[in-house]
Amino acid sequence: MSLVTPPSAPPASRPTSPTVRSTWRAWRMVALIGVVTVLVSVIALLVRPGGGPSRPLDPDDTTLAGSKALAELLRARGVTVDRVDSVQAAADKASTGHRLLLITDTTYFNEFRLSTIPGDRLIVGNVFGLRALAPGLRRVPEPARTRLRDPECGLPAATAAGSAYMGGMAFRGPPGATGCYPAGDGHTLISFPNAGGTTTVVGDGSFLTNQRLAEDGNAALAINLIGTGRPVTWLVRPDNPPQGESALGESRRSMYDLMPAGIAWALYMSVIALVLTAFWRGRRLGPVVTEKLPVVVRAAETVEGRGRLYRARRARQRAADSLRAGTIDRLTPRLGLGSGAGAHEVVAALAARTGQDPQQVGAALYGAPPVDDAGLVGLAGYLDFIERQVSEL
Amino acid sequence: MALTGRAGLVAAIGIVVVLLAPQPGAALAGVCLLLAAAILVDLVFAGAVRPLRFHRSGDTLIRLGQRATVELIVENPGSRRVRGRLRDAWQPSAGAGPRVAELDVPGGERRRIIMTLDPTRRGDRSSVAVTVRSVGPLGLAARQGDHQAPWSVRVLPPFLSRKHLPSRLARLRELDGQHPALVRGQGTEFDSLREYVVGDDVRSIDWRATARRHDVVVRTWRPERDRRVLIVLDTGRTSAGRVGDAPIPMAGATPGGGGLLAGPDSRPAPGWPRLDWSMDAALLLAALAARAGDQVDFLAYDRAVRAWVGGASRTELLSSLVNVMAPIEAELIEADSQGMVAAILARAKRRCLVVLLTDLNPAALEEGLMPVLPQLSSRHLVLVAGVSDPRVAAMAGRRGSAEKVYDAAAAEHAQLGRRRITTRLRRHGVEVVDAPPEEIAPALADAYLALKAAGRL
Repeated sequence: MSLVTPPSAPPASRPTSPTVRSTWRAWRMVALIGVVTVLVSVIALLVRPGGGPSRPLDPDDTTLAGSKALAELLRARGVTVDRVDSVQAAADKASTGHRLLLITDTTYFNEFRLSTIPGDRLIVGNVFGLRALAPGLRRVPEPARTRLRDPECGLPAATAAGSAYMGGMAFRGPPGATGCYPAGDGHTLISFPNAGGTTTVVGDGSFLTNQRLAEDGNAALAINLIGTGRPVTWLVRPDNPPQGESALGESRRSMYDLMPAGIAWALYMSVIALVLTAFWRGRRLGPVVTEKLPVVVRAAETVEGRGRLYRARRARQRAADSLRAGTIDRLTPRLGLGSGAGAHEVVAALAARTGQDPQQVGAALYGAPPVDDAGLVGLAGYLDFIERQVSEL
Repeated sequence: MALTGRAGLVAAIGIVVVLLAPQPGAALAGVCLLLAAAILVDLVFAGAVRPLRFHRSGDTLIRLGQRATVELIVENPGSRRVRGRLRDAWQPSAGAGPRVAELDVPGGERRRIIMTLDPTRRGDRSSVAVTVRSVGPLGLAARQGDHQAPWSVRVLPPFLSRKHLPSRLARLRELDGQHPALVRGQGTEFDSLREYVVGDDVRSIDWRATARRHDVVVRTWRPERDRRVLIVLDTGRTSAGRVGDAPIPMAGATPGGGGLLAGPDSRPAPGWPRLDWSMDAALLLAALAARAGDQVDFLAYDRAVRAWVGGASRTELLSSLVNVMAPIEAELIEADSQGMVAAILARAKRRCLVVLLTDLNPAALEEGLMPVLPQLSSRHLVLVAGVSDPRVAAMAGRRGSAEKVYDAAAAEHAQLGRRRITTRLRRHGVEVVDAPPEEIAPALADAYLALKAAGRL
């Protein structure tokens, strides 16, 4: 590069890249659609009822698996419903008076501490630690299909409600227990007196959910079992289950807990660095230039292809015919013969010229095709030999 | 816009900062904001690319194998310095260099960039775009823009057979008036009268002229002049086949040029297309015939007239020939011989020598040229020149294993077909030149000289 004197020629160049304005004009509709999409999604997220995953048999949950309908029904009938998510809270409530403890999930609780809480108990489903919570109860090994069942028992709460959507698990109770809604060898509802109150176990909680409550006698059964006037302590799975710790308090910390907090942020930063580097390497300096190139095909390819066809089909006759015709075509003018010379003339002239046996020469030039590849190679060699003899003499 | 490697580096340093900072979240946000601000500053303060102006000068016409030089002058009318990189994007076979040039133009000044072009094939090579990437003061981000600064270089056929011209011209001079012949015969016309010297053939004494003067006078003769030669180039599919070794490596001629399909056991380089060898021969013939005083016309035809040079003066003939030949490429279609003969007959009103440069491919000639040849040979003298493939000749000599003998048989078959079609053409009174690529040009020139000496033009 060097400084040059200004040439007189007018500038012949013109910019072809889009300007900022034209880029904006071209993409503004796309940007508008994008902004609208994001806005609609945000609004939809904010407006959506409930939010988060459903919590089965939760008195505050409005999804199909929740039980808010039942809780509202109970409250309308003047029953106090207290939602608790820890054993301690349940024990505190129990100390205020005679209450019903409704247990829907014990995954995160200590069932032995739970069993010390006095009062009536309603255990829903096949919860963990059933042996401690309902001593004397035995499980029937075969699960029972959840369907509409008739009470077929003397428990007033059940007979008043009539048929209900029961099943899940069947039990056999201790002596003195009342079993309803039979399934197989056992019953899906067992009620028996226990220390400090009545313990009732049902095999499945479907009849308490918002989805099933309105069907048949489900609501009646639920209200008869729960809404008998006592305040209800409704124990649900904790809202923020302790991570990495089981109900027994074992310490199991994952690899991520052991890493310093900076690592995660550094990871985000390295993603940003990666994106910047990719953009640096990926941005082309100018367009890709295309060009119409002439075809590259060697002229000898057709001949090579024919040779390979001969080879593939072992076409000895055709190959031999070609070699013989080529040799005869070259030899006839050397022997002083015209192009229309017959086989006998050629053989005779050739035998006289080279001193070879006329029969051998005839067989080589006009005989039967070789029977194998070795014969073909031999024939080619012999034809070469004859040609050499003629040209040397 | 574009980023530089420095932006990525700064972001990479940011990883360490975030890792060591007491509040990594805040550190990440800080680093990102700082980087974004720096990139924005760079974009705002980088020299503008759009107002740049480009001027070009340099070669527009070169022969294949020569190097062209094209100057690109970058003018920066703005006030800010434009610093960064420039790419002048030519078509790949133009062989343009440097691929990317460093650029530093202060405001209101100009800089010159010299591009060298080593084209790898004939034809017109043009610049598609000039792209400038102007880096900002911090070197983190750059503005980028394309410009069109059109320039085209025409790459002419190399005319390598030029080296054969002096020897053929010497032969021509022997025939020509430099060595006046005293023997009259076919192909000669009356030149002049001169005084008899001892040794002259007494049969050439012009007794009438001798009677008018006091001296004995002989007639001298010279070869005929002002005949017409029409060179016809067949640009159909058979002319695309590559033969021989490329004297100048062409685009796609090297095995590596085959792209993805070129494996480690790549086959030998495919050489030059028959078309290029034919052009070479046509140029030598045209140069020779023009010196011999004949009128040379040129026609390139496959299914339509690809090029036509008619009535060019002797001085302009070669330059106009190479100019029309430069962009011709072989078309992958069967040549239309009937149309070709019609085009020749429409252009050649008087008897002339028609030199047809094609391939002596038995199948193509049998169906194409042979049926219409009598129309042509009845009015004109026809010479068919074909480039043979030395590879086929080498294959015909292979011996030793069954595979090689099968190949040899296939080559023999091809050669036999070629010889037979040659014989049939000769029977029609057509002259045939069949030579390998390196020898086709001198062989054709010799055939022309032989025809001229025999007075058959």
